[in-house]
Amino acid sequence: MPSHDVTLEWINGPTRTVAVDADETVLQATERAGGTLPYGCRTGACGTCVGRLLEVDGVTKADDRTGDGRAVDVDDAFTYRRAPRALKPRHQDDGYVLLCIASPRADCRVAVGSQVQSELVDNPWK
Amino acid sequence: MSDANTNRSESESGHDHADHHHAGPGYATPQAAIEESERETLAYVMGLYVGTDIDEPDFVAVVDLDPDSETYCEIVDRVEMPARGDELHHFGWNACSSSCHVEGLERRHLIVPGQRSSRIHVIDTKDRRDPELVEVIEPEEVFEYDLSAPHTVHCVPDGKILLSMLGDADGELPGGFLELNDDFEIEGRWEPPGEIEMNYDYWYQPRQNVMVSSEWAAPATYQPGFDLEDVEDGKYGQQLHVWDWEEGTVEQTIDLGEEGLIPLEVRFLHTPESTHGFVGAALSSNVFHFWEEDGEYRAEKVIDFEAREHPDWDMPVPALPTDILISMDDRYLFGSNWLHGEVWMYDVSDPANPQRADSLSVGGHFGEVQEVQGRELAAGPQMVQLSLDGERLYWTTSLFSTWDDQFYPEEAERGSVMLKADVDPRKGTLELDEDFLVDFGECPAGPARAHEIRWPDGDCTSDVWQ
Ligand code: FES
Repeated sequence: MPSHDVTLEWINGPTRTVAVDADETVLQATERAGGTLPYGCRTGACGTCVGRLLEVDGVTKADDRTGDGRAVDVDDAFTYRRAPRALKPRHQDDGYVLLCIASPRADCRVAVGSQVQSELVDNPWK
Repeated sequence: MSDANTNRSESESGHDHADHHHAGPGYATPQAAIEESERETLAYVMGLYVGTDIDEPDFVAVVDLDPDSETYCEIVDRVEMPARGDELHHFGWNACSSSCHVEGLERRHLIVPGQRSSRIHVIDTKDRRDPELVEVIEPEEVFEYDLSAPHTVHCVPDGKILLSMLGDADGELPGGFLELNDDFEIEGRWEPPGEIEMNYDYWYQPRQNVMVSSEWAAPATYQPGFDLEDVEDGKYGQQLHVWDWEEGTVEQTIDLGEEGLIPLEVRFLHTPESTHGFVGAALSSNVFHFWEEDGEYRAEKVIDFEAREHPDWDMPVPALPTDILISMDDRYLFGSNWLHGEVWMYDVSDPANPQRADSLSVGGHFGEVQEVQGRELAAGPQMVQLSLDGERLYWTTSLFSTWDDQFYPEEAERGSVMLKADVDPRKGTLELDEDFLVDFGECPAGPARAHEIRWPDGDCTSDVWQ
């Protein structure tokens, strides 16, 4: 069974690398390994499990020299089991990924934890 | 597992049926609830960890409200859910006064849905201070009916239970209603699918054969957080649906317009003959009165809260009245303006012309009182609950985890509080009880959010009369 290493980085917190099989989601693999990530619906509708992609196969966002801002493209790193309905196109362009329905196709690093969720929207009146 | 076979002494239930000559749970009339009930001595309150990095499930807290008790204002027990990620939100009883004459039924089981998970839990409160989880309906069983995101729970006559469901199995529209039987098994969909698109809260008046439901949005829209773009795209609701209660069909849809954006809590007057009720429109910060006239329902804006300028905000801040309730005697309407930090009461003796009675400025972004007993308040008043005699108003401060994080990010670090005001129904006044504080920031696993409040003997937001 091919698997990929997904390194989960909590903002201001620990880092943990999980080997995720091609047929399981990052959330499932993390739980199998005895770890936890925030989640809610587990169907891609609520955004609670969201992570932000930092690096795919050794290429980080900071390495982006192509000018199209897509050096770290979610499509290069993950396949989805079903549509990521909790993410808007702007979120997907910015590298956000729903870990309850995403399986990796490459080794990658992802920022995780509830703080990533709170980046999705801000206070519109402020 | 049915309540019909269980026996429980009158003293234990705290409600003596011999007094008013009927069998079954609840009180014969709203007036009987006021007169025969004793002061609330404990509350069940939703406690949440969903969406935080605290690796714990959500829970139902048992809060001691007996001023003579040594553990007054403390969480004396917590019923933990079996899984994380639920976002416990609203809950309800297996039976209420609408089942008053159904012999053998007891108001004993709490139906506790997970908003995010779609998991539905059943808690047995036979031992009130030590309730226990007895049944779990897993999300996959719910998805089979192409529904998700359970919200409001009301018992309906004959021991059945009805839940408003905000999304389809994918978290998109349309929502609908799920019915459970008295063994807490899914009976099926209550309505023919496709009657409505959006759903939120509902209230029914069986003697009038009517139900009114309101609208939030699709779970995939509101769950990640509030985005003005979604409002501009018409993804948030502004309609009320008037149902034929027996048929389960929509007879009329009322568009409240821009002044009625995000109509949330629906409250009929308690008097079972009444066709009057109110709904709070959270985003446009209005309250609408609805009533029947010449065989049709109508709705009219009767209360309007003005947005306020805040030195640190770029745009005027809406009040956001997120919860409303009607006192058991139908005289007062209470509510909470979550962003402004205000609980308010209006005299609704004439429902078409509510008169402001009093308000309390506490918490939120504008509240005059920003701490109680030295405890800083992290958010404004949100879910409200009133004692059956109308003399004590309680509230908690969390709205919805992702929305909390946008408007009150400190709440994740400090947790919610439960506060109380003393109400004088004769004078129409509210006074903050500075001696009362339940601090959900002090929970053993870390600060928790607190949401809806229920009393064991029925309350102003769950009882309906047949
Ligand atoms: S847990 Fe809801 S989107 Fe992943």
